[in-house]
Amino acid sequence: MKSFAYASARSVDSAQQMVGDNGQYLAGGNDLLGLLKEYLVDPKILVNIKSIPGMDKIEPSGKVWNIGALVTVAQIESDPGIKKTFPGLAQAAADVGSQQIRNVASVGGNLAQHSRCWYFRHRDVLCLKKEGDMCYARHGENKFHSLFTGNNCISPVVSNLAIAFAALDAVAVVQREGQPVRMTMAELYAKAFDNPTAHNSLNPGDLILKVEVPVTRTHSAYLQTSEKHEFDWALVSCAAAAKVADGKLSQARVALGSISPVPHQVKGANDFLEGKTLDDATASQAADLILKNAKPHGHNDYKIPMAHAMIRRTLLKLNG
Amino acid sequence: MADTPAPELHWPKDPKYISQSTRRIDAVAKLTGKARYSSDIQAEGWLYGMILRSKWAAARITSINCEKALKVPGIKAAVTVKDGERRIHYYGEELAAVAGTSKTACLDALRAIEVKADELPFAVREEDAMKPDAPKVWDDTDSNVSKPKVTERGEVDKAFSECSAVVEGFFVTPVQIHHPMETHGNTVSWTDEGVTAYASTQGISSVRDGLAGALKVPNSQVRVLTDYMGGGFGAKFGQGVEGTLAARLSKEAKAPVRLMLTRFDQALAVGNRPSSFQKIKLGATADGKLHAFQLESYGTAGIGAGASSAGGGGGADFPAPYLYKIANDNVRVTQTTVAVNAGSARAFRAPGNPTASFAMESILDELAVKMGVDPLELRIKNDPNKERQQEYKVGAERFGWKEKYKKPGSSPGVIKTGIGLASATWGGGGSKNTRGEVQISPDGSVEVRMGVQDLGTGTRTVLAVIAAEVFGLKPEQITVKIGDTHYPPGPGSGGSTTCASISPAIFDTCTNALQQLQTQTGIADARGENWLGACKKLGVNPLTVQGKWQEGLSSRGAGGVQFAEVAVDTETGLVTVKKMTCVHDCGLIINKLTLESQIYGGVIMGMGYALYEQRVMDRQSGVVLNPNFETYKLTGLSDMPEFDIVLLNMPERGVIGIGEPATIPTASAIANAVANAIGVRVSSLPITPDKVLQALGKVPTAKPESVS
Amino acid sequence: MNNSDPGKAGSFSRRSFLKSIGTTAVATAAAQTQSIAAELEKANAETTIGPGAVPVTLQVNGEALKLQLEPRVTLLDALRNYSSLTGSKEGCDRGTCGACTVMIDDTPVYSCMKLAIEAQGHAITTVEGLAKDGKLTKVQQAFMERDALMCGYCTPGFVMSVSALLKKNFRPTADEVRHACVGNICRCGTYPRIMEAALQAAGVATAMNKTEVITYG
Repeated sequence: MKSFAYASARSVDSAQQMVGDNGQYLAGGNDLLGLLKEYLVDPKILVNIKSIPGMDKIEPSGKVWNIGALVTVAQIESDPGIKKTFPGLAQAAADVGSQQIRNVASVGGNLAQHSRCWYFRHRDVLCLKKEGDMCYARHGENKFHSLFTGNNCISPVVSNLAIAFAALDAVAVVQREGQPVRMTMAELYAKAFDNPTAHNSLNPGDLILKVEVPVTRTHSAYLQTSEKHEFDWALVSCAAAAKVADGKLSQARVALGSISPVPHQVKGANDFLEGKTLDDATASQAADLILKNAKPHGHNDYKIPMAHAMIRRTLLKLNG
Repeated sequence: MADTPAPELHWPKDPKYISQSTRRIDAVAKLTGKARYSSDIQAEGWLYGMILRSKWAAARITSINCEKALKVPGIKAAVTVKDGERRIHYYGEELAAVAGTSKTACLDALRAIEVKADELPFAVREEDAMKPDAPKVWDDTDSNVSKPKVTERGEVDKAFSECSAVVEGFFVTPVQIHHPMETHGNTVSWTDEGVTAYASTQGISSVRDGLAGALKVPNSQVRVLTDYMGGGFGAKFGQGVEGTLAARLSKEAKAPVRLMLTRFDQALAVGNRPSSFQKIKLGATADGKLHAFQLESYGTAGIGAGASSAGGGGGADFPAPYLYKIANDNVRVTQTTVAVNAGSARAFRAPGNPTASFAMESILDELAVKMGVDPLELRIKNDPNKERQQEYKVGAERFGWKEKYKKPGSSPGVIKTGIGLASATWGGGGSKNTRGEVQISPDGSVEVRMGVQDLGTGTRTVLAVIAAEVFGLKPEQITVKIGDTHYPPGPGSGGSTTCASISPAIFDTCTNALQQLQTQTGIADARGENWLGACKKLGVNPLTVQGKWQEGLSSRGAGGVQFAEVAVDTETGLVTVKKMTCVHDCGLIINKLTLESQIYGGVIMGMGYALYEQRVMDRQSGVVLNPNFETYKLTGLSDMPEFDIVLLNMPERGVIGIGEPATIPTASAIANAVANAIGVRVSSLPITPDKVLQALGKVPTAKPESVS
Repeated sequence: MNNSDPGKAGSFSRRSFLKSIGTTAVATAAAQTQSIAAELEKANAETTIGPGAVPVTLQVNGEALKLQLEPRVTLLDALRNYSSLTGSKEGCDRGTCGACTVMIDDTPVYSCMKLAIEAQGHAITTVEGLAKDGKLTKVQQAFMERDALMCGYCTPGFVMSVSALLKKNFRPTADEVRHACVGNICRCGTYPRIMEAALQAAGVATAMNKTEVITYG
């Protein structure tokens, strides 16, 4: 990695000031150090934000939980309140990397992490995401890539937490130009769907402050399938959440990761599930709706049946 | 003295330590961080070294300019691999190296080196390189494909016509990378007095010879030291380009240089197991005896084939037919090696054998299915090896084969279970050039010395166990000095020959020493409780005695049979290994504890070959796409099955190695278990979820899979 | 010891090199008396430092290690190359193999993915800091007895992961051991032994794997 200056921020304002136009925020550092070591980013300054007080708290409440951006993934995994209220979120956290990663990884960093596409991460491949001419994955090795995208880059979102948050209808609060801006998970990644060089919708200097998670949905679940049993990126991840009363779903949400640059959600499927009692056939119909128009690229076709199974399983987990 | 004919030696009948479990004598050093590996050496005034590698898969280098690199603060030396014009044959080939006072300085310096090159077309995948109009890996050839190696015995066509069942299949194995946890590398000091190298190697003698040759320094002026090293698996016998570069940097900078490869480097340039594409045909007569065999295969060993020998690395062939007896030797085998623009192969734990085993054991199971016989029975009928015959019996019983075996695909439900088995054979044997030395001091302390190195197999402990046995002492009372070319020569640690080389040699050495001690002191039996008294009588000078490898204490030929039970999620394609029962023989067991560890290790590496590992080459850019542990996936703790490990102790055979046979059949047994579970075969390794779903017909739009 | 220059650490002759391990290990300051909190306060002062080398003080195994480091130097690089604490190993330098695992305030982390400068004001424990007065910890003892190590290069990382687990979970289940240690890779294949050692150290019975020697014939 190239050299850089370093500073610790005591407040959000000063963090944004210090990071300027060519700085990077440093929290857990798992993603950032990887990018730095492969010369994929070139900041002049790293601004340590772990020193900002108050951003590392999980604040439960009757309506909306506030989860600070500096809360670690390990905290999410082990917090008894989260396990009880948002089991899908706790599971998504448990499936992040390894304990060494979860112990330092922050909620904000997990959401803002960059593409894991092996062409993007390769120091000697200038791909579309790095403002090169072409998406190598599209014509090359794409077994880990997207089934849906709105642009030529087929790198998918890999944040576990984003998928779980999406199903819970959570909102990220982002400090942008001195103002807090509220973004749904769809909005947080929308730019990556359309713009090949974007990893998410954050602008330079934007800082995720917290995530607000409504408690509306009484049930949630998260599942992922990887090539290994643990410490491996998801080939497909799936989160579902709903209010379940008398066996009937309401306000159900399903979101999938690793198959689109955004948490993949289909409104029609969510609507379809409204008022339904979950059984295999219903779950299967929802899966059909969610995967309609999937466009595989030769090596990732298997993700369609895999995702189908995982949607069904995740939904059925909501039954208890 | 060591050269006088020794009386015939026999291993003790009722040993106290041999064949028992002795804790690793270097465990404390390794567990407390005190053990200094080659990558931990901090020589006085040492510099950090790093290598600049080609970012092109094929190119003509016109110039390399290190001037700017030398201006980076902290940089003390920079050298090119070769001055002037140069052809590059693969992504990651070494171009230049720098040495400086810190890693950060070296990183900056590498980026400051200016390389001018003309890019050339390349072929990094076997199927591309085989095309007649493919770019040639080597300029002086007209094809990337080697001349076929053909073996034909018996009457193959006639024999197939006599068979009552014939099966055919096409099997693919990937390029596997050694990836020892400690990368390749050395700390080298090259002064007017000579060369001292702390090498992460499995062959201190071969590194000494290699460095001497490359640097044109007399062998006697090169000393190689390997106190501790972090694994090799066949890839660490030479000094490598990195060793030569470290030495040149040291000379230039007048300081010791520690140059360890990065994990990225490790994936590109220091060896791998060749791929294979095997078209195989097997037939049996109605009595279930194998009657005819035919194989056509190709694979790549990287740049090192189909060309001038400049690339080195050897071919991609493997033993065929593997292990089982074909009646009248009705065998036709045609093997070729395809050169591609990628790093060269090197010996990798049981070279050729896991590759050969996968196709052979797979087609054998296909034959069993076709004939409607139990795959275990088919093996028992066709395996000529006596030890394995017992291993089938013992293993099947412990594993519950008969109770568990069911028709392929008949397991109910979404998660289907299945079982499979496969066998191993390995030569091994000891190296008769092995010598040892023991020094017995008047205070009773004992130091055993041998120019061998411990890869992690427990070499130090083996030497201590045998010395303790001979002297009637405890293993922890023996000081073992290894990893120094100044000691009497030991073997390179490869081919599962280490234990069979060092055990007889140190047994002879210690037996000689005991006799001398007894003669010199007049004490009839100096062992055990008499030891201190005898040693005291030595006076002031220690007794130093040498010995050498002797016939009759070791042999060759180890076998094994492994049984696998798997669960396959037919909706996600994920394979879970539930249980491995492994029955192995390796003659006389020296240390049961470390021997079991070796078997665990072999099986776990075989699991990686079965399910996770594969080097992926990108045909567009020519790069290795997964030069890391994120996408080159190694078996982890969560992937562990339940194990049942059984060792057949055969003291009468003497010592035989185990490191390699333990890894040979694992992938085959797992692949057979997967096929038994789901009723269809995934015929290419690794068996990843995408391939399982495809084999199950759940991926309607699938195109031919991509395997490199 | 001039720690800004790795070339100054240790010495080359084999004998004096081995001797040096015990004596030059870390800087001498009586660390216990220093307030880690005060250092954290100092480290978090809102001033921009670097990109050149700056003073960095690390509390490692209860001693203060005073170094001059560029902000980009990782904790692993600082331990291995700017001091003689080479027990933590570099296996991948990308947070995927775990050989570099150290504890920061009792929490296991990858030291290769942590800047040294960030680790200021925290108590860092490396494998060298576990055994006190030459006495192995329960975890180390169990690793030795169960032969949970082969080449040993991954071993310090595993020892740290297991030790950290047992600090917060005295009697873990096998699944909990797996979950806690899956971030460590062993290429020699010692996992079954590591599992046994972890459970043995926790005093939990283990009967997962069987090994047996039988006589041929």
